[in-house]
Amino acid sequence: MSLQDNEKEMEKDKENKNTNEILADALADKSSRRSFIKNLSIGAAAASATLVTGCVPGADAAVSGEMRLRWQEFFKKNYRLMTEEEKEQTVSRLERLAALKDGLELQIGSEPPLPKVLYGYAFNITRCEGFMECVTACIKENNLDRKTHTQYIRIFEMEPGQLDPSTGDGKYFHEVPVENKFYMGTQCFHCENAPCTKACPTKATWREPDGIVVVDYDWCIGCRYCQAACPYFGRRFNWGKAEIPKEEITTKQHYLGNRLRPMGKMEKCTFCIQRTRKGRLPACVEACPTGSRVFGNLLDPDSEIRYVLKHKKVFRMKEELGTEPKFWYFID
Amino acid sequence: MNFGENKREGNKRTTMKTLMNGMARWLWGSFLLIPALLLVCVGTGAASEKKPFLDTIKSVDAPFDSRSVQQVQPVPQPTVVAKEEYQGGQFRVLARKEQIERHKCSNCHGEKEVKGKNAFTLTHGNVVVQHGREGSELACIDCHHPQDRDALEDKKGRKIDFDHSYQLCGQCHFRQKRDWLGGAHGKRVSYWAGERIIFNCTTCHDPHAPRFAKRFPATYSVPLN
Repeated sequence: MSLQDNEKEMEKDKENKNTNEILADALADKSSRRSFIKNLSIGAAAASATLVTGCVPGADAAVSGEMRLRWQEFFKKNYRLMTEEEKEQTVSRLERLAALKDGLELQIGSEPPLPKVLYGYAFNITRCEGFMECVTACIKENNLDRKTHTQYIRIFEMEPGQLDPSTGDGKYFHEVPVENKFYMGTQCFHCENAPCTKACPTKATWREPDGIVVVDYDWCIGCRYCQAACPYFGRRFNWGKAEIPKEEITTKQHYLGNRLRPMGKMEKCTFCIQRTRKGRLPACVEACPTGSRVFGNLLDPDSEIRYVLKHKKVFRMKEELGTEPKFWYFID
Repeated sequence: MNFGENKREGNKRTTMKTLMNGMARWLWGSFLLIPALLLVCVGTGAASEKKPFLDTIKSVDAPFDSRSVQQVQPVPQPTVVAKEEYQGGQFRVLARKEQIERHKCSNCHGEKEVKGKNAFTLTHGNVVVQHGREGSELACIDCHHPQDRDALEDKKGRKIDFDHSYQLCGQCHFRQKRDWLGGAHGKRVSYWAGERIIFNCTTCHDPHAPRFAKRFPATYSVPLN
């Protein structure tokens, strides 16, 4: 009996302690401006919902669920400030929202950069024959807007002797390769010293530790300063939500990569972050029928990209700007 | 009137004085400033002399185990271990034999007689050799073994397996082979990490007509903005 009593008392103590802790936490947690606005706006939303529908929100479980997810999404942090847990939460929220709104089954990831990896890219201007398979693969992989014909990669048909793509023809559509012409591809060069990241007023774009320059689409305000800052025309602005046939949507996505972007965001090549962080090649490299595209780890002395840098004549675009792009052109 | 003029002159004088004062101060200031500026210049000079990015990359020689990347899956295509060395050691190439439609060749090319209805295709009438200089294209036995049809033969008379055709191609295309071994020609299969598995020569090139045919690009571009 006495033993049991003791146990009961201990349990009571525990409960008391728990409630005390919770209270202390609640008291210590100063209501920040953000949480105040959050509560206020949730209250406002609830009030407006009661006004419109004439009933308490929550009657329709699905709608209220979506509403809650959207509010939580609205008040999330910048990706770089999130803890691993918060990253997982936002990713699962995005997945649920996509399922609720569009009936899409997505797998959005938030894989961190791999240790001791710095991605680099090389493009063989002797081998490229302008088939543009890379462009179609990129459109498909990165869920680019089919309506406005957005492309992260451009291929230019160049006169011999020229090395500046602005002198080339980027709109060719005829049988390729043409005699006495060569082809040169451009995309985001993922500069080590990227000017675009410095121009962003909301710190929505940055260089990841593995060298990939990424955009947090939910912190981008669409001011396009980064587009103006980029000397390589590597960034694309979406004027609307991407229009893609449902069966063509790539469902394996990454938060910083090919997930379906909201309207009015800056987007660009991410070296297919959703693939490369799992050891796969970017879609353009895998699609290239001529083997002009070389991708690999710059910190691996045995990698193909290091072989190219060591044994081939390489150059980069606008090297004199000091942006240090990690994208080299080379000739055989 | 006079008073006014005097005043004006006086004003002039005072402005001159203040100007002179300012000049003197500026001069003194500049004496102090010049060494400071020089210091700054030296500082920035030293900063701009830091190692170029390419050199810093090339100086990294710690080995990286690309097999440590966990998510790499085995490739679905059949592969074989290459008979040559790569800078990182052993590597694999995509196998070829399974891709050849009527392999093994000794099924037909043997002792017994073959009576075929589709004589045209069975005698390889569909193969048009466009390999070598125009007008003096290669003959079949320049690459195929004259006796053992299940193998290839190089100019030194070595028997070469269909899966290892790079040994044959490399005797003429040695530059391409050197690049291919290193990684500047050809490509890896699906993964940049994991064991090195690369395309064989014949994965991309038709050995009978190795040049890529002219065709329309897969898509087109519209102008930016």
